Order: sequence, then structure tokens, then C-alpha cells
Amino acid sequence: MRFHLLILTVFLYVIQGVAQNKQLLYGLQEVPQNLLINPGAKVTFKKHYGIPFLSQFHINGGSSGVTVFDIFGESNVDINTRIRNKIFDLENTDFFTATQQLNILDFGWKSKQDIYFSAGIYEELDFIAYFPKDLAILAFEGNRDYLGYNFNFNDVSVTADLLTVYHFGANKKISDKLTVGGRFKIYNSLFNVRSVNNSGTFTTSVVEGTNNIYEHNFNDIDVVVNTSGLIAYEDFEGSVVSKTASRAILSGNFGFGVDLGGTYDITEKLSASASILDLGAIFHTKDVENYSATGSYKLDGIELLFPPLDVNELTFDYYTDLDEEIQREIVRDTTAASYTQLRPTKLNGALTYSFGRPLGSGVCDCLNMDGSVTTNQSVGIQVYTIFRPRRPQMAVTAFYYRKLFRFLAAKATITADSYSYNNVGLAAVADIGKFNFYIAADNLLEYGNLAKANSISLQLGFNIKIDN
Amino acid sequence: MRKLFQVTCLGIFAFALLISCVKDTNFDNAEEIAITPVVEANFVFFNFNGSDFFDSQNNIPRLVVRDTTEIKFFDDGGFQDGLKRVEFFFKYTNSIPRNFDVTYRFLSAVNDTTLTFQNSVNAGTNINEVITESTRNIEGAEVTNLTMSNKVVVIVTIPSADQNLAGALKLQSKGTFYLEF
Repeated sequence: MRFHLLILTVFLYVIQGVAQNKQLLYGLQEVPQNLLINPGAKVTFKKHYGIPFLSQFHINGGSSGVTVFDIFGESNVDINTRIRNKIFDLENTDFFTATQQLNILDFGWKSKQDIYFSAGIYEELDFIAYFPKDLAILAFEGNRDYLGYNFNFNDVSVTADLLTVYHFGANKKISDKLTVGGRFKIYNSLFNVRSVNNSGTFTTSVVEGTNNIYEHNFNDIDVVVNTSGLIAYEDFEGSVVSKTASRAILSGNFGFGVDLGGTYDITEKLSASASILDLGAIFHTKDVENYSATGSYKLDGIELLFPPLDVNELTFDYYTDLDEEIQREIVRDTTAASYTQLRPTKLNGALTYSFGRPLGSGVCDCLNMDGSVTTNQSVGIQVYTIFRPRRPQMAVTAFYYRKLFRFLAAKATITADSYSYNNVGLAAVADIGKFNFYIAADNLLEYGNLAKANSISLQLGFNIKIDN
Repeated sequence: MRKLFQVTCLGIFAFALLISCVKDTNFDNAEEIAITPVVEANFVFFNFNGSDFFDSQNNIPRLVVRDTTEIKFFDDGGFQDGLKRVEFFFKYTNSIPRNFDVTYRFLSAVNDTTLTFQNSVNAGTNINEVITESTRNIEGAEVTNLTMSNKVVVIVTIPSADQNLAGALKLQSKGTFYLEF
């Protein structure tokens, strides 16, 4: 029970609209991993080496429409009533999501041609499950009070991915105003589970003139679950850890993708930037197992025929016959057919206005090697979109950036998305000598009581950064 | 000294993140979570003609007819644990001018009788279909008996019959299953 509670808690915690929105890191030039969000960001350093396994850790999770407090908060209302009320409050577009990224290797250097190359390996976990409202009602309430109602299998929409990403990027300031960059990625999928675009309905209805009291109708059922990587562990008797480690390097299920981005200085103080990330796909060809159920069936019940029987003669095997008939009509199949999975592509955009005290001057402008950060403060607006199975999720962020001290910068954000208009986040980056450390967290207003948060997100990392 | 102050500022920020907490919650409530669906499902049905109650080959009436079907999910472990109450509903539409007794006998896998009940069906006429409805509520120990069964024998008894017996007897039935998980 404790374990289930933990799982439920994690699900209920995580983020609310916009998994993988790294609004705090976007545009934060002091952080080398900013290049993973916009490969065309301005680069203000000559080299960086991410501390292996520590250069970026990102975790983020949430649920739209429900919080831990909604279910487990102190209340006089019975917990089952609260759950029931929530089931009816939530829509099938509400979702539970969890994402996590861990940079294993990350490094970059500026070439003699002033191209900043960066490369590395990161691990990513991405999960999203839409709330299957109809099936939740069916499970929680049954069908008694829903005669004639079409319970829709379209509500089932889940994807889960665990992958390692090998990437190599290049970034160049191609004019005084424009910096562009791109990143090529090879995806190595450890496992994928996907069930999207399902269809069909289940209906119990009273129809006059039929054989029995009800008609139970399964209409045009088309439910598919694709999996890859999971059967690699079936009947496997060795060490799961070492097998996972070897699959993390080379699983046999590969994909390719690109990130593109750019930053354009419209005026001295106004700049615009944009990026598109994970424009690509994974081709699942190995350790694939797909399950499907398709067809229609009308269930009347069991008709007894009362055949005249001799002593010890058995009657018809009604139940088995019915079971076989259902299986004939709603065909269940397991295949190993390859499938292609599009990556959840993300779009970022920002408009930044810089102001305040100019930073650095004189012969050696160590804080501002390429002249990109000219002042110690900026404000701006950012937009973010991630393409999800049911529909894109969007967010808008307003931010304020300030270089607090020579070695410390901070960025504050307020983000609005479909469900929340007051997600306040704060990031801090410290450059102490060559040592670069950053931490960023959002939904800070909810930290007083995380139970009330729809989402939380935390990123932190350590790098060695060489400015000259 | 100034650096120390600045590092302290950073430390406070990090600490603020760490002291975040979850409060005003009662996770012990999780023990009380119960899913209580009420499921309506068709049960058995049959259609007799009056002539079905006479063996014309041997020229003798068939006063007792019976048939059996497995209901495999009744003694399934999950169903046994979750079933709290069942309400069986039977609707007989009879135009045969005879009363009937219909017995439902639930048997275990080794054919021990676990539960039995009977319905009386009113006689119809060739002109009028007479509807008899019957509800049988199963709860308490009877639920346990029901979930020990995996088949049901339906026995239809007619007091008398001849080769000219006209009309039809029709059964429609359903179960309302009250579950709790």
C-alpha cells in the first residue's frame, strides 16, 4: 500500500501543463546547458565540461486538475466522495506527467573558426497519461447509472519513454545580430510503451424486442498498445542492472532528430530567440511486442437451449462457445511489427529587453566576452509548446533577469498555462572561478505545502566553465 | 567576507527549496479508499414453445427440463473478494396456459450445490402474454455460497403438457452486482 501511495503521490505531484518546459534555463547564458534548449543561444564562454552525471539533473512532474491535497487533504468529506467528485471534475484532456533528464556527459569548446561545438549524452524519462475519464467512471461507478452512455476507449492515451540521447551541436555567431545553432541527436530507446489513437465504445442499453434485458455493445473497438524493449527482460536470468546499462548504450532501437535555434538582436537592447527541439523519430524494430483488440460484439447473455439429453450426455458448452464467439468478433492479437514513434517536439520563443547598468568595460570584459550581455538586467516574455498525443500544451512566461553580483545571476519567472496563472519560478547561477553551479525550481508559491501543487520542477547542475 | 555573505545568500535559497513540505494531509485516508462499482449484466435467457414440453417421438410429456451452463467468473478470486451483494432480476413472459416453476441451482466445480432458489411463473393464455417478474437478493453468507459456484442449472417444471400445448415461455434475466475493491 505504501508503495502504491508513493506512486500515486508522484503522479499527483508532477507538472501541470507543460512537462519539459525549462523556462528558467531558457536564455540563461551563464548555464552551458542552455544550449540544449536553444542551440542558437549566445555563448559567452570558450569551453565547458559538465561534471559527469551532475551537469544537469532535471525532474518535473504534475497533474492537471488534481493535487495531492484534493484527495488527501484534511477534510470532513469522505475520501471516496472526494475521489468521485474529482473524477467528474477532470476531463479526458487532463493528464499526469513525469519527466526526468540526467546529463551523463556534456562538454563544449569554441573552435578557431569561432564555432562553439557541444556534445554529450543524456538520459531522459518521459511519461504522460491522459485521464481516461470514461473508463474511470466505469471502474468507479459501474454501468448501472449509465445505461445508454457510450464509454469511449478513445480516453485511453498513454506514452512512456526511457532513452539515452547522443548529441552533437554547433553554434556560431554569423553576424553582429544573428547567432544560429543546430544539434544532431541519435536516440537510443531503452523502452517505450505507447497506446494512443484508440477508438471504440462500450454501451449498455435497454432495447425493446431484444433477447435479453440489456444489449451490451462493444462498438468498433480498436485498441492498440505498442511496446518495445520490455520483452528484452522476459525470461532473462542475468543481472537486470548490467543488461539495462548495456541497453542504455546500445539497445537496437534507434532514432534520429535535430534541434535548431537562433538568436537575433533586433536593436541594441531588444533581442528575439527561438528554438525547435527533438524534431525526429525513433524506429522501434527490436524487442517489439504489440497488443491489439479490434472488432464489434453485442452481448446478450447466455441462451439456454435445453436439448433433450440421454443419461450422462453433456449439454452444450455455452460459456466456452460464448467466449470463443467474443474472441472471434473482437480479435485480440500480439505482433512483433516494427513501429515508428515521433518524438514530442518542443518549440521555444522569447523576446528579451535588456536594461540597467552596462556590464564590463575597458580592456578586459571578462563577464561579456562576445558583447552579448550588455546590461545587468533584462525582462522578457517566453512562449513554449510541446506536441503531445492529444493536443499541444502551451505556456507563456514573463521573466526578470538580474546579475546580482559579479559571480551570481538570478532569473525569476511567472508562467501561465492552461491551468495555472501563477507559477513562480526562480533560478540562480553561480560562477565561482571556473566552477559553475545552477539551481532552478518553479511553483515556489506552492513549496509551503507541496500537497497543493499541481506541479513541481527542479533542475540543477555543475559545470567547469572556461571563459577565456 | 563579502563572498561569504554572497555564498550564504545562495545557501539560503537552496535551503528554502529543501524545507518545502507537505502539510494538512492525511495519507492514512488511503486505507479507506474503496472502489464500489455497481455493474448491470445480462444473465441467462431462454425461449420455449408449448410443444417443447412434449416428446412427440416417444409420445410422453417432458414435465421437467433442465440445462446447465458454466459461469466461470463467479468463483474467480477477484470476484470472490469484491462481490458484496447481487440482485438477480427475472422477467418471464408466458403465453402457455400453465404455471411453471423455475429453479436455479448453483453448483461448485465438484458439483456440490452451493445455492438454490425458485421462481413461480404465472400461467398465460393464448391471447394474453402474462408477465411475471421476480427479484432475488443475494447477500451475506449467500454471496459466499454464490462465489463458490461456477455453474448454474436451470430447471423448468410444468405440471402437465400435451402435444397440442400452444404458446411460448420466454425468460430474460440480469444481475446487478455490487462490488467493492
